[in-house]
Amino acid sequence: MSRPRSQAEYLARLVPPSVAGLNRRSLLAGAAGAGALLGTGLLAGCGDSDSGSGGDATSVSLGSNQSDPKPKDVVAKVMDGFKTSSGVTVDINTVDHNTFQENINNYLQGKPDDVFTWFAGYRMRFFAAKGLAGDLSDVWGKLDGYSDAFKKASTGDDGKQYFVPASYYPWAVFYRKSVWQQRGYEVPRTLDDLNTLGAQMKKDGLDPIAFADKDGWPAMGTFDILNLRINGYQFHIDLMAGKEAWTSDKVKKVFDTWAGLLPLHQPDSLGRTWQEAAQSLQQKKSGMYLLGLFVGQQFSGADLEDLDFFTFPEIDSSIGAKALDAPIDGYMMARKPKSQDAAQKLLTYLGSKEAADITVKNDPSTLVANSGADTGAYTALQKKAAELVGSATEIAQFLDRDTRPDFASTVIIPALQQFIKDPKDISGLLTSIENQKKSIFTS
Amino acid sequence: MTAVSTGRRPVRPGRVVLHLFLGTVAVGWLFPILWAVLTSFRSYEYTAVNGYVSLGGWTIDNYVTAWRTAEFGKHFLNSAYITIPAVLLTLFLASCVAFVIARFSWKLNIALLGLFTAANLLPQQALLIPLFRMFTEIPLPAWMSDSELLYDSYWGLILVNVAFQCGFCVFVLSNYMKALPHELYEAAMVDGANVWRQYWQVTMPLCRPALAALATLEVTWIYNEFFWATVLMRTGDKFPVTSSLNNLRGEFFTDNNLVSAGSVLVAIPTLVIFFLLQKQFVRGLTLGASKG
Repeated sequence: MSRPRSQAEYLARLVPPSVAGLNRRSLLAGAAGAGALLGTGLLAGCGDSDSGSGGDATSVSLGSNQSDPKPKDVVAKVMDGFKTSSGVTVDINTVDHNTFQENINNYLQGKPDDVFTWFAGYRMRFFAAKGLAGDLSDVWGKLDGYSDAFKKASTGDDGKQYFVPASYYPWAVFYRKSVWQQRGYEVPRTLDDLNTLGAQMKKDGLDPIAFADKDGWPAMGTFDILNLRINGYQFHIDLMAGKEAWTSDKVKKVFDTWAGLLPLHQPDSLGRTWQEAAQSLQQKKSGMYLLGLFVGQQFSGADLEDLDFFTFPEIDSSIGAKALDAPIDGYMMARKPKSQDAAQKLLTYLGSKEAADITVKNDPSTLVANSGADTGAYTALQKKAAELVGSATEIAQFLDRDTRPDFASTVIIPALQQFIKDPKDISGLLTSIENQKKSIFTS
Repeated sequence: MTAVSTGRRPVRPGRVVLHLFLGTVAVGWLFPILWAVLTSFRSYEYTAVNGYVSLGGWTIDNYVTAWRTAEFGKHFLNSAYITIPAVLLTLFLASCVAFVIARFSWKLNIALLGLFTAANLLPQQALLIPLFRMFTEIPLPAWMSDSELLYDSYWGLILVNVAFQCGFCVFVLSNYMKALPHELYEAAMVDGANVWRQYWQVTMPLCRPALAALATLEVTWIYNEFFWATVLMRTGDKFPVTSSLNNLRGEFFTDNNLVSAGSVLVAIPTLVIFFLLQKQFVRGLTLGASKG
């Protein structure tokens, strides 16, 4: 088990399966039992008292995890826009991003806001399947400007939509144009190219690939992209959903490939945060860095303009290099909003071109999901990122959003860190992951 | 132990070791705090380039930004809404129980004290689920809380804090009250004081040092409480200041210098309370320990 990083995270683990809906290998068997008794009885009784809908509501509440100053401001501006267009006020309840995420179980089973921010992918499907989110198929009937990939990412296991995408960011390999020009590096197209390039960078005194995994999650990005390149999207999603065996040769090949690339990565990554790794790129000490578009937060001014990226090179020509991680953030509706009508109106607005335009205008670092939005204000980097995602055949949501949160945090994080520390014993590691996966996914 | 030194004595090796040990522990204790304070006065840009083991980049911007982004003004007020009533209520209820335990001897005395003390040993986390469920089911009138439930209301948090802090206060206060001479009550009874007067006008004034000490401790504890506020609150604007410290953590990026500044700000009230009431605090702990 990895150590929890915050108190809230620690607490999130204590929620027993019966209540959380997440079947943790809980040590609190006693609490779980008590929770089960209370949980089943009360949860069933919970919904009755809430009244379903009301036609002429004048306000709707929004639970927002956008606590960073800029996005928070943007949310406020978008809600102002909704007020102007519909006359309905939005009460915004902002809770900081991490707390919101860790408390989501409590939040949804307590008295959630009518509309709330959440993530696409498994994390959305999970709560939709538990009946904790409202069906948005009607809203989707009124939305346009979304590619099929986005619609797919908003669809629950039952084929209905439960999610309205708002923004996203891709994961790619970032580099500084000036450094590459000066040294005459070229964007690698294949794994061999990447290895050759890495060897050259080493010769030139650079750490070829900046790398940091102190927080546990950045390495997931590396695993994702290697698995997508080697085994393809469908296998990746099935593996994440617990349907494929981690001990299979396919997964082993991913780790073998990674082990081959590790010498090109910055050493001692377990003691480094992504900010520090990004700074090594910014200070021209590393050649490239596989991370999300948010890497740009560590760059400013001319440095930011110098930043460029390419998608991770192809490994298997029959798979290609068209799939990638691009986590999508957006909105969902509570299972019983105070006013269904107002909530749906708000969600329709949030998915509209107008809302996307307000977002682009006020936060030039996001990519909006609605393709109809006016993206004239995008920087070159954003335009390229939007093109990259637009041309992607499949979009994965990042490991911890594509699988059960407990599996990602208690199994995968320590396993990947173990692998980075000692890349030799791959089969032992995979057996251990598989065993833990079985107990988590079947329990 | 009495340490009376009349003139210079040869320095014994044991003493050197002792002072070395004490010095190390003191430094080890203070180091993280001092480092946090130091860090809080430095700009992120500077430490990002030069590392934390350096000097320079002095600024107070972190404090300004922290106060603004985490909206500390509002959240300090929230903390006050929770802490002040909770401390007063805890002390009042605990002193009532302690008075009964100390003043009257009846069969269940020990059992009652045991019950209150044992509650201290309960891990609070184990009660999370039942409490959460209960709180979401208990309605409150709208004028008490806009959530119309005990969940997501200050009332709920005050109740939880009172419940969990009572045990310790009862334990301390009852021991303290037991040390009061019984003759006082006999005299009071002769003068015709009823039980309430004995409690309010005889016992309570005498307990002032103990109450002050407990108040200091309780304010610190309840103010620092983080767990229940995070779990039993849903509205970000109602979070007490400890939970709102999380607002300084970014989604992807956390500026540690900013968080240090925020932490220092959050720590200041407890320090103020402690230094203001320090005398009471120490006196309260030692009073009653020896017979005067």
